[in-house]
Amino acid sequence: MNQIKNLSLFGICMAFVVIALGAWTRLVDAGLGCPDWPGCYGFVVFPINEAEIAIAESRYPTFPYDINKAIPEVVHRYFAAALGLLAIFLVYLSFRKTNDKSIQGWSCFLLIFICLQGTFGYLTVSLKLLPIIVTIHLFGGFTTLLLLYFIYLKSRNFEIFNQINISNLKVISGIALAVLIFQIFLGVWTSTNYASLACADFPTCQGSYLPEMDFKNGFNLNQEVGPNYLYGLLDNPARVAIHYSHRISALLVTFIFLILMSRLWFSEAAPLASTLGILLLTQITLGIINVVYVLPLYVAIAHNLVAACLLLATFTVNYLAWKK
Amino acid sequence: MTLLKSYYELCKPNVVYMMLICAFVGMLLAEESVSSFWYLFVSLSGIAFCAASAAAINQVIDRNTDASMTRTDQRPLPQGELSATHASIFALVIGILGALILYLYVNTLTMILTLASLIGYAFIYTVYLKRATPQNIVIGGLAGAAPPLLGWASVSNTIEPYALLLVLIIFVWTPPHFWALAIYRKDEYAKESIPMLPVTHGVIFTKLQIVLYTIILFIVSLLPYVVLMSGEIYLFSALALSTVFLYYSINLYYSNDDEDAMKTFQFSIYYIFLIFLALLLDHFIIIS
Repeated sequence: MNQIKNLSLFGICMAFVVIALGAWTRLVDAGLGCPDWPGCYGFVVFPINEAEIAIAESRYPTFPYDINKAIPEVVHRYFAAALGLLAIFLVYLSFRKTNDKSIQGWSCFLLIFICLQGTFGYLTVSLKLLPIIVTIHLFGGFTTLLLLYFIYLKSRNFEIFNQINISNLKVISGIALAVLIFQIFLGVWTSTNYASLACADFPTCQGSYLPEMDFKNGFNLNQEVGPNYLYGLLDNPARVAIHYSHRISALLVTFIFLILMSRLWFSEAAPLASTLGILLLTQITLGIINVVYVLPLYVAIAHNLVAACLLLATFTVNYLAWKK
Repeated sequence: MTLLKSYYELCKPNVVYMMLICAFVGMLLAEESVSSFWYLFVSLSGIAFCAASAAAINQVIDRNTDASMTRTDQRPLPQGELSATHASIFALVIGILGALILYLYVNTLTMILTLASLIGYAFIYTVYLKRATPQNIVIGGLAGAAPPLLGWASVSNTIEPYALLLVLIIFVWTPPHFWALAIYRKDEYAKESIPMLPVTHGVIFTKLQIVLYTIILFIVSLLPYVVLMSGEIYLFSALALSTVFLYYSINLYYSNDDEDAMKTFQFSIYYIFLIFLALLLDHFIIIS
């Protein structure tokens, strides 16, 4: 059980790294750094010297080679593959070292899920960054993280969790989780449609609290398969609709979380309340910096990672509220 | 028979009933299950007599003003159905009766709190505040907000934080409730030179205040849920009711039609009634 505990904790760290690398790939516009999958221009790693680059360019004449875009893509793939190996090892350990049926079941599910996630990684390349596919791919990453965390919680049995009784917070913590997932969707949709800079000012958007918005095209989840979606294809009003929705929804998240946090506070679970509060405040600050300072790379990656932390924290509250 | 009806009208029955409902909810929330309905009935009648007495004193003091306003000129004193002396004696008798009931059969704390709110409304508000400042109904609203505290204290014999929370809800609700009516009746208040907010600071400013107080009310109405006093039934009811109230007040802000002020006023009455009903439903469904 000790090994499962340690391996799943290591897996959580790995998942954070893979998510960060995924965000990095997206933010330096390197999603199509390699036009093929699983190789990169037919190479196992990526073309380095002039001779290799010449071969690569003759293989894909329509995709000029850029080593600065190939590196993020390939590094992301190999770290993700390593996480897959970790999942195989976790399944092995769960059957060898324990009889806990639920840990065994969840480990197997994790392995299958990571394979599925790899498939979506392939689809992001082959469907040329179709926003809905990239969105699902990020949700897959967050779900992988959540599964590892869940296995970790099950193997760990924290003593302190038994002292917390927040069974009267079932409904509000569930609502908070749902609203947070919705907000993460809007955030990912903002990123995958290149809408992060659609509003350059804050708190107004293009100088107005009610900018021109096109929700019909902005939230068309059934976009055409085929064109290259690098740098986004939507018109400005559609991007504004996406971006502004993410902002307004942040207000809703804050409102719900304030209620949840106060109720946690009055339930004598103040540490959980302050954790949520600190994460939420950090996340809002990062979001504002993203807009005002024109999407600094590390801030944008941090915005993604803190979203993952908020998801884990909110999941923990739900776990404690619903536990028998 | 008409005389009896005049005395009945002297008590402002509609206002007293609303106060009794709020006091009754305070009583029911004070304990997990009702121990004695007879006791609640006795407490309520004590509070009712005092509240009626306060209403009668208010009408005696204000009889000349009431006569010149269409909202109030149908009251028994302006109509000449009762003399000021008879009304005063009546108010004194039922006031003492109410206080005695509370002192003998309920508890001293409830009697003191009830008399304090009687004095607050019938004298401090009617005689002084009403004519002294546009904040009249904000400060005076505290007396009108007391019923849940009175009800709660009659059962628990203490001043509970939860009871004060209910008082806070009514206290914050009173200004938007009353100012909506004051906008509708502003000409009459102006004629009597009563410094109601729409008279002294204008209708637009009053409408802004109504919106701001409704926003505060929105937040305050969620407090029973936040402090674990109530559950989700109350949360969803409060969210829905406060949202509708906010809609009415924002609509009023952008409207030029005085009828919208009347609509806001009418909704505010449903609002406070339904909020307390939701508290009650929530309390007893969670328990059972």
